[in-house]
Amino acid sequence: MFLENPLNVSAWTFPILEVLHISSFAITIGTVALVNFRLLGLGLREQSAGQLTKDTSTTTLISLSVALFSGLLLYSTDPDKFYLNVSFLFKITCLVLAILFHYTVYRKVVLAGSSAALGRLVAVISIALWGGVVFGGIFIEFVKPGLGFD
Amino acid sequence: MFISLAIWLQNTGLFRALRESDHGYEILLALHVSAITMFAATVVMTDLRLLGWALRGHSIESVVNQLRWPKRIGFLCVATFGFLMFGMKAEEYYYNVFFRAKVVLFLLVAVHALIFRPGVYNRAAAPVGVKLAAACSLVLWLAIVCAGRGIGYIHAPVFSHHFALLIGR
Repeated sequence: MFLENPLNVSAWTFPILEVLHISSFAITIGTVALVNFRLLGLGLREQSAGQLTKDTSTTTLISLSVALFSGLLLYSTDPDKFYLNVSFLFKITCLVLAILFHYTVYRKVVLAGSSAALGRLVAVISIALWGGVVFGGIFIEFVKPGLGFD
Repeated sequence: MFISLAIWLQNTGLFRALRESDHGYEILLALHVSAITMFAATVVMTDLRLLGWALRGHSIESVVNQLRWPKRIGFLCVATFGFLMFGMKAEEYYYNVFFRAKVVLFLLVAVHALIFRPGVYNRAAAPVGVKLAAACSLVLWLAIVCAGRGIGYIHAPVFSHHFALLIGR
């Protein structure tokens, strides 16, 4: 027996979840970007990157949780559409790597106040991974369905 | 008047070329959203500080002043990519109710600035109205995200509008 996903009952659920998802990932990636730009010597130079990370980490974590939760709900409305989409797989790969990197290597380097060169390196990796998440997410709607291996 | 301007705009060389490109619109959209992340962080961190929910270790003045230029540059990036997308489909956008709502919301952002800039954002001391300013700002920008996403859900019936215009004449 097939059960209807309650999220698919109303036409409004998907757009509302999507807006919640966009707003929350924007805050997540944006707060990380503030630290990244600081590591590259741009933007908020009055405090160290470590201090900036401490200042923004709660906002980052809360918005990341909302983004992940709303993302799972969005996924559940039509799983087939997503897991058979090459852009979605790219996005999720980038996302897992971005989160792992953020809470391990990145955090350690930034909080330890390591050398500027190392700081720039982790900033570039972080920007590339989070940027991959955004680009992968946008292109879900625009790539051909299927894994594109035909 | 606006519609003839929109049609002229989308037929200029730049937008014609963008429209004929393979993935111009999608790439601009991804850049637009990437820039939104940076702009959103500056707006939200400023407003959260005004509300007293984040960055409590820093003064309001320091947060507002430090984030002012990153915010302006972020908005410039968002607006540039947004305008390029608009220009590609100016005529469709003109008829898109969410696009019209978004234009109105931007006018409200200007009104917000006129009301709160002198008393809140440009002043060191924290007068009454700080939290109201922050709350209004967050609500406005969230509404703009809603309207922005909404644009993509509507495929404007450009042809039926043209038909009506022709009959009208």
